[in-house]
Amino acid sequence: MTEQIFRETTAEPRTQSLPLAHVSLELGHLYMEDFEEGPDRLREHFARVKPWADAARQAAVVMSGNGRARVSTCFLVDDYFTQFSSPRELVPLLLGEAKAAGLEIDYLARESACAQADGVALAASVESRLVESPPEGSDGSRPGVREVGWLSNGQRTPSSSTAEAMGRVVPWTPPSEAGARRHSIFVDVELWNEDPRRTWSCPFLAAVWQLARLGLLRHRGSPVLEPRALRPDQTLPETWSALPPLLRLNDAAAPFAAYRTTSVLPSRFLPIEHAVRVILSQVEADAAALRQVAERAAAEGTQVPEEIADRAAYVFYPGP
Amino acid sequence: MAPPDRDRRPILCGEVRTSVLRTSEALTARTAAQLLNLRPDEHVLLSERPNLRVASPQLLTGVDCRLPSLNGSRPRAVGTVAARAVLTEGRVLQASAFARLVPGGGDHRKPWGHYLLRPGVVEPLGRHQDGEFTEGFLAAAPLPGGVLNPGAVAERLLDEVLRHRLLDQRAPFKSGRTRLRWVALPAAGDGVTSIERFTVAADGLRTVALRVAPADPSAVAALCEDLALHDWLLTTLVALVERSRLGSGDREAVLTALRPVVDHLLHLWMPGARVPDVLSGVWETLERRPGFSRQWQALVQRIRDQVALQTVSLPRPVLADS
Repeated sequence: MTEQIFRETTAEPRTQSLPLAHVSLELGHLYMEDFEEGPDRLREHFARVKPWADAARQAAVVMSGNGRARVSTCFLVDDYFTQFSSPRELVPLLLGEAKAAGLEIDYLARESACAQADGVALAASVESRLVESPPEGSDGSRPGVREVGWLSNGQRTPSSSTAEAMGRVVPWTPPSEAGARRHSIFVDVELWNEDPRRTWSCPFLAAVWQLARLGLLRHRGSPVLEPRALRPDQTLPETWSALPPLLRLNDAAAPFAAYRTTSVLPSRFLPIEHAVRVILSQVEADAAALRQVAERAAAEGTQVPEEIADRAAYVFYPGP
Repeated sequence: MAPPDRDRRPILCGEVRTSVLRTSEALTARTAAQLLNLRPDEHVLLSERPNLRVASPQLLTGVDCRLPSLNGSRPRAVGTVAARAVLTEGRVLQASAFARLVPGGGDHRKPWGHYLLRPGVVEPLGRHQDGEFTEGFLAAAPLPGGVLNPGAVAERLLDEVLRHRLLDQRAPFKSGRTRLRWVALPAAGDGVTSIERFTVAADGLRTVALRVAPADPSAVAALCEDLALHDWLLTTLVALVERSRLGSGDREAVLTALRPVVDHLLHLWMPGARVPDVLSGVWETLERRPGFSRQWQALVQRIRDQVALQTVSLPRPVLADS
């Protein structure tokens, strides 16, 4: 083999790798409605999460394959759909209630960071990585069957207006799920709307959140949404936008990104997470990032599910 | 590492569309990078040696269709076709789409996530025969509907880039688009890369069959882009020289017609510039026969002679004016 003598770095892209934990454990999602119900609601939330969080840690050890597991915990606060309270008021309250329940939050993320963080339009990048599952007969000659702003897990019912315009009466055809087992569970997910400015949907941001936790997001090869701690002289700010998009609260924490994620959520989140799965199974993740994760896992003797959607696990607890 | 089992190495196939970029001035590296920034979160690849070549990030198109064959047994295949746009010297635009046929896809379609982890791979469901596929794919007719069609993916990408707002839609000369459809089979025995066929069909479709040593699919696609680029250059130059009525009486008219050739085309000829050693045998063969560079050099010499003659015989005022 002759060695390549002349190289141009602009012609050979590099992708930086990320440190990885075994499991990224999400301890909750906080919306304004929850906050408005006062500190009791938070206390109840963490009390209900605690046993499942403990179980998730044990499961992480079993799955790591080597008797130990690096688990980092995270918590997501909505500042995208509604802004409430302030970091200065909320963060100590949140940490206090978690601690009272015996939980520690290692990383705190703002939901708006999933749309845009550190000048990078993350949600738009992920949208440009969607490659829709093709229906049978797709030979490459037609563009994706995409309805702008929507993503489904199969084939939609053909539009009746097209058929009528062609002067035919066409009987209704049901939608179908790609790869359905006998019967379809068809889901059509709204990714965003314009009212008037682009607002990403909750499931879409949640899919970005999963990809971030799985260490699969890059911007031109560089990591995005990297955790930052407050400087020692810094206090918690008054506004959410002044807070780092992903705040490291525990210096001794395992890395934020992980081979797998586990999210402990009240069962009302189930439809959202179903939609997340529909999205994740149609995202073409950064190939180099995927390879780095696979190589690291192999070197550690840890098994990582091949498909991205299968790397996300959930506990849905009966909750408010 | 043990050498890969030849019989299990996949076939590569693809199609390249080549066109002049419809803009009065050739794009600089910076503008070219803007034009081909088809994905905000990925790098546009930029190479300036030995000439300026800018390549877009790779885009995927999902397919679930039949594989071509001449005998009518068309196995179903599922996966993704990879595509990219490449701009040479800010002037010649190519859209290239390709896929690797990897056997062992089982008998049923898998969840879509499986295919997305294998970008640019198409998995036949059930059995297929390489020879049948190659003949069916390279048959000069348009591919029937429902059959794997990387050319359609390339065509769409080319159209999309050509419509970009950065382009003033004023091409410096008239030229056509060319289509080059290719298949690369694993090389036999010692694994030396060779070309088995380069055919120009009546409908303008070029078909190429290669035998390749183990190489990155993207490098094989780049080799085919290089073949398509030089085939287009030669085709375009021949047509422009013909249209200029070189050898007819009116030298000034001839020179006016050839001016864009000198301005925009002559410096683009660089066969094999970026082809890695392991794939370089292809150009050597083509240069021996038919001798692409020989034909190119002969045409260039004819043009230069005309320019020289004209310069000698031009009356002064015209010279001062130019």
